[in-house]
Amino acid sequence: MPLVGTRDLTPILDRAPLMPSLDTEQWALPGARILQVLYEIDDSAMLSLLPRALHPTIPPTVFFVVTHVPESSVGPFTLAEVRVGCRSAMRPRTFLTRAYCDNAAAVTELRNRWGYPVEQAEATLQRYYDRAHGLVTAGGRDLLDVSLVNPEPISGSDVQYLPNVNLARIQRDGAVVPRLIQVDPDFTFRSADRGKPMLTSFVADAWELPGCEPNYPVSASYTVADVTMPKLRFIVDPNKGPMEGVEHV
Amino acid sequence: MKFGIFYEISVPRPWEANTEYQVYQNCLEQVRLADELGFDQVWAVEHHFLEEYSHCSAPEIFLTACAMQTKNIRIGRGITVCVPQFNNPIKAAEVAATMDIVSGGRLEFGTGRSATWTELGGFGADPDETKKTWDEWVRIIPKMWTQERFGYEGRAFSMPTRAILPKPYQKPHPPMWVAVTSPGTELDAADRGMGSLGLTFGGFAEQDQKIAEYRRRIRYCDPVGSFVNEQVNTVNFLYCHEDNEVGIKTGMRVTGTFNYLAEQLLAARQAYPSRSYPNLGLLPALRREASSPAADGGAPEGTAIGNPDRIVEVVKKWESVGVDRINFLLNANETVPQQEVLASLRLFAKEVMPKFADKRQPVAAPAAGGA
Repeated sequence: MPLVGTRDLTPILDRAPLMPSLDTEQWALPGARILQVLYEIDDSAMLSLLPRALHPTIPPTVFFVVTHVPESSVGPFTLAEVRVGCRSAMRPRTFLTRAYCDNAAAVTELRNRWGYPVEQAEATLQRYYDRAHGLVTAGGRDLLDVSLVNPEPISGSDVQYLPNVNLARIQRDGAVVPRLIQVDPDFTFRSADRGKPMLTSFVADAWELPGCEPNYPVSASYTVADVTMPKLRFIVDPNKGPMEGVEHV
Repeated sequence: MKFGIFYEISVPRPWEANTEYQVYQNCLEQVRLADELGFDQVWAVEHHFLEEYSHCSAPEIFLTACAMQTKNIRIGRGITVCVPQFNNPIKAAEVAATMDIVSGGRLEFGTGRSATWTELGGFGADPDETKKTWDEWVRIIPKMWTQERFGYEGRAFSMPTRAILPKPYQKPHPPMWVAVTSPGTELDAADRGMGSLGLTFGGFAEQDQKIAEYRRRIRYCDPVGSFVNEQVNTVNFLYCHEDNEVGIKTGMRVTGTFNYLAEQLLAARQAYPSRSYPNLGLLPALRREASSPAADGGAPEGTAIGNPDRIVEVVKKWESVGVDRINFLLNANETVPQQEVLASLRLFAKEVMPKFADKRQPVAAPAAGGA
């Protein structure tokens, strides 16, 4: 059967959000601008980045996603994520261990309601005629500098975003346990571009992805979409096998 | 109705020294038996880098071995990837013609363009280009086979005039097919006078509509080859057992394993936004339909698993919607022991095939001709 992850998540659980509840309502985020850049990564980290519950993609991949939300109930914010391409059993997913957001209230919303392992940092997404540029900085360092270069219009229906599985913690029978929180937002596209992917800076350790070395650019897209954050439907025990740990919310 | 077998050649981990050898030997043994039992055709895919799912990167070699070990069964390249980073149209024409000669005129020539980033990226192919290069190749390859000398000035391929040799044994050339995975490709097949090598599955109602439209459109086609190959070929799973419950349970294990392996790969659409790839990868509809229980919670309605009576009913339904051929996947990742696979083939040949024998026709007239 397919390869499975070997990662022990224990060392990074302390910073994962402790969710007060899995019963959340939808959240409308109209007019969001989304930069997604996909790279293949060195296969030496193919298994060590993922827990036992997840299979790596073949080839192994990493998704850089920077989203700017111009209006929301907590005001505008920019969220940056670096996700590892994976499969939860046979479902295409992306695994998130660390994200950064520039709005403290949005950090709280995302951590508490959707289990995003997100912390506050400077994050921006700029659109120019020749490129879209995402930048995350903290402590004077560029944690991520990623771009789409030479955008060309495509149809929004040509773009496919894969659901997240976010590393979080929940209360279960009086104990705190790790769970992967499946988040599959709904997207209604207003426009979409495709272009050349360019990764200028990526500090893997700052994203809890030691050994993750992007080595082959695949694609880059930039969309404007009305995003609806969903109610939660599934969570996964990261320490069980891929077919064994899925739970309905 | 004609019956065939279809190979992805999946190889389970752990990959020990003789694992691939043993899987290939099992496949060849199945092909020899299928030939003896009267199956019409054996097809093999061209896939690259698809760990466990398919270790069949040189189908021309495998199919030549099949031809050398059999007498009657036709050999189907399902498919030749018509993308320049994978293959070259001259070489594709030459290899196909040679296969046709050494098999004594038994080649079926399938064409396609790959559906995964795993493969397209591995070869450095541009996903936006594959449909265009496929279209160009299917127009020129039959000319390479039939013209004494051939020269061409095209968009993605050009060559000065040369004699492309050898020529196929079948005259004017082997039947040509298109792998149909994306919606609408069956219409591309019809418009070009090519057979629909249906790697999708769909429900009966959906197929009924698609086949009717294929039949309507092909009447007005501009054939790329020297003749129209109006045939609808589909892929299915086969596990036939005297005990219906055992047959369904084992068959579902095969379909589930196949589906599971296919999803580990990176579909072109998931990696690269392009209107060139509207589907979700490898045999998506086949996998969806074959994994979904029927309304009564039993086996999927169109999947040929169970006892002979159930499989006869399934095949009759496919026949009723206009399918000409069904090719069966017999195993996935060696989930079913070889002796059980062979027993399933024998039981199918004994109990199911005779029910359709009176309607079986010889292969397409041009294909049967030979030199």
